Amino acid sequence: MFKKILIANRGEIAVRVLRACRELGIQTVAVYSEVDRASLHVRLAAEAYPIGPAASRDSYLRIDKLMDVAKKSGCDALHPGYGFLAENPALPRACADSGVTFIGPSAEAMEAMGSKTAGKQLARRAEVPTVPGTSEPIEKPEEAQELARSMDYPIVLKAIAGGGGKGMRVVPNDTAFASAWRDAASEALNAFGDPRVFVEKYLPAPRHIEIQIFADSHGRCVSLGERECSIQRRHQKVVEEAPSTVITPDLRRKMGEAAVRLARAGGYVNAGTVEFLVDADLNFYFLEVNTRLQVEHPVTEQVTGLDLVKLQIAIAAGHRLPFAWESITPRGHAMEVRLYAEDPDNNFFPSPGKILARHAPTGPGIRLDEGVYEGWTVPMDYDPLLSKLIAWGNSREETISRLRRALNEYSITGIRTNVGLFRRILSDQEFLRGEIHTNWLDELLARPRPPAPEPHPGTEEAALIAAAVWHSANANGHVPASTDANVGPSRWKMDGRLRQMDHMP
Amino acid sequence: MKFEIELSSAEGKKKHIVELAQINGMHSVIIDGRLLDADAIQVSPNTVSVILGGQSFEINLSRSAGGKLKLQCGPHEYSAEVMDPRAWRGRNLGALEVAGRQEILAPMPGKVVRLLVAAGDAVESGQGLLVVEAMKMQNEIRSPKSGKVERLLAKEGQNVNAGEVLAWVD
Repeated sequence: MFKKILIANRGEIAVRVLRACRELGIQTVAVYSEVDRASLHVRLAAEAYPIGPAASRDSYLRIDKLMDVAKKSGCDALHPGYGFLAENPALPRACADSGVTFIGPSAEAMEAMGSKTAGKQLARRAEVPTVPGTSEPIEKPEEAQELARSMDYPIVLKAIAGGGGKGMRVVPNDTAFASAWRDAASEALNAFGDPRVFVEKYLPAPRHIEIQIFADSHGRCVSLGERECSIQRRHQKVVEEAPSTVITPDLRRKMGEAAVRLARAGGYVNAGTVEFLVDADLNFYFLEVNTRLQVEHPVTEQVTGLDLVKLQIAIAAGHRLPFAWESITPRGHAMEVRLYAEDPDNNFFPSPGKILARHAPTGPGIRLDEGVYEGWTVPMDYDPLLSKLIAWGNSREETISRLRRALNEYSITGIRTNVGLFRRILSDQEFLRGEIHTNWLDELLARPRPPAPEPHPGTEEAALIAAAVWHSANANGHVPASTDANVGPSRWKMDGRLRQMDHMP
Repeated sequence: MKFEIELSSAEGKKKHIVELAQINGMHSVIIDGRLLDADAIQVSPNTVSVILGGQSFEINLSRSAGGKLKLQCGPHEYSAEVMDPRAWRGRNLGALEVAGRQEILAPMPGKVVRLLVAAGDAVESGQGLLVVEAMKMQNEIRSPKSGKVERLLAKEGQNVNAGEVLAWVD
């Protein structure tokens, strides 16, 4: 087993990997940019090294700096988390050159499966059904438009190097093609440094269902079942659950076998996710492979009882998969919501800032994976994911009520979050019936918001009392000191001093 | 202590008079002349727990950039402007300190009669910087923030126009 692991990431996933290392008795090394000095992953790690300015291209995307840290600190393995360099084959190559084990697939497997077009070619060879379209990038927009016409609109343009909905545009008709092409290409260039896009038939109202696979270096490859990720806002997942309400045991087996076939064809080792679109008739089509740990991996962990990060580490260390089965049946139900620092009332714009107060939910069936704490300032430089709140229970109903209960307990002051969005989703009748698809959330948000529930009688008076009490305790030194025992020094002055300290070099 | 509080919600805004009194160490509350059976404690720096007629409420509070109070009670949000009749500085009360270098401008045409600080001095928010006399009234110009007097452009005896820069505080 490894002695010391470099965690080449930040935020909640760095904390998640760090915790797995701790449980395995492996030393941890964190890296941080200038604005992440006070971040939780840095505080929790045994060792931590700065790797540059806030901009990720100058810090978290710098392979050379990561390798320097790995050598300097004597790491024998590196975990990439998700995002940043997790799917960049240059990282496993650099690791190999430095004698550091990369916890993930080989560079070759990443190349064979990671890009959308390469994955599609592989899927065809492995007889895994794919959505009609090209698997080659198309250089000329005229050529692509010709093809789009022949496939019948709607079509979708997708970035070759894409993910997370970036560089993706749905084109409803021919007149919209030219501008959609420009948008997709420039977005792809900005997000991934690669403007190339390809064309695919657009399936109306499909479900996004993905299969978690695991392969060891001894030839075993298994499916750990599906995750339903159809609740997306602009192609970004916001709620994930397992099992899916539409997947029958037979379909689970078929999709699992297809995913395993694909992984074998690509010589895949370690954790991966094969994403499928499932249409209304339960036909499934290969979408893409994510050659890394997924954000939503806890959902699978809760219904399988496995720790996927520890499994990743064990497999990278050459261990065998410990299962006696080829695919598994989930137990109970699990659901995850992604809490973002964004303002649902202002077009979901990121809402960075200082977390003044925070109450985290606990209790039966609740797990919170996060990288935040009270007093921490959410930087504006990275993905605004704050926490993943995961609930599990014996049934979907119990899981949803636990999640609702936990969301009611969760409070965060100082920044805006999308908690309210989940209150709305989790009480929607269609959602409760499981009648969801990948456009469902965008459609829900386009509908007028249902009237907010009437505040409980007395809420307004309670707010007035709270304002008066808080004001008398916290006003900016202008109010004569009260005799109240709860009144402390002005927290605003203290806050200002702390902030000045934050800025000290 | 007595407060005038303007409470705004999605439904609109309304002013209320809230009076906090201490009876045997407990909060007693009078809102718009009605005595309420209420108990309130600040349970953490930004959270107040209120028990009102047996109903338990938890309210999270923070300052918005404009200096108003933002209140959250579960899914319900309010904003409040608190005016404390006993504080003579009124509406500016409790506003957040401004960030960055501040230009101190003459609020009216007049004559600089006295400098209270020198360039390089450290000043507290609200501390007087200089006195400008206009219309036979002496007006103390105060620092909007804690920091250092970077430059003092005004001189004693100098006539100044409205909007003229008197000093920089950083």
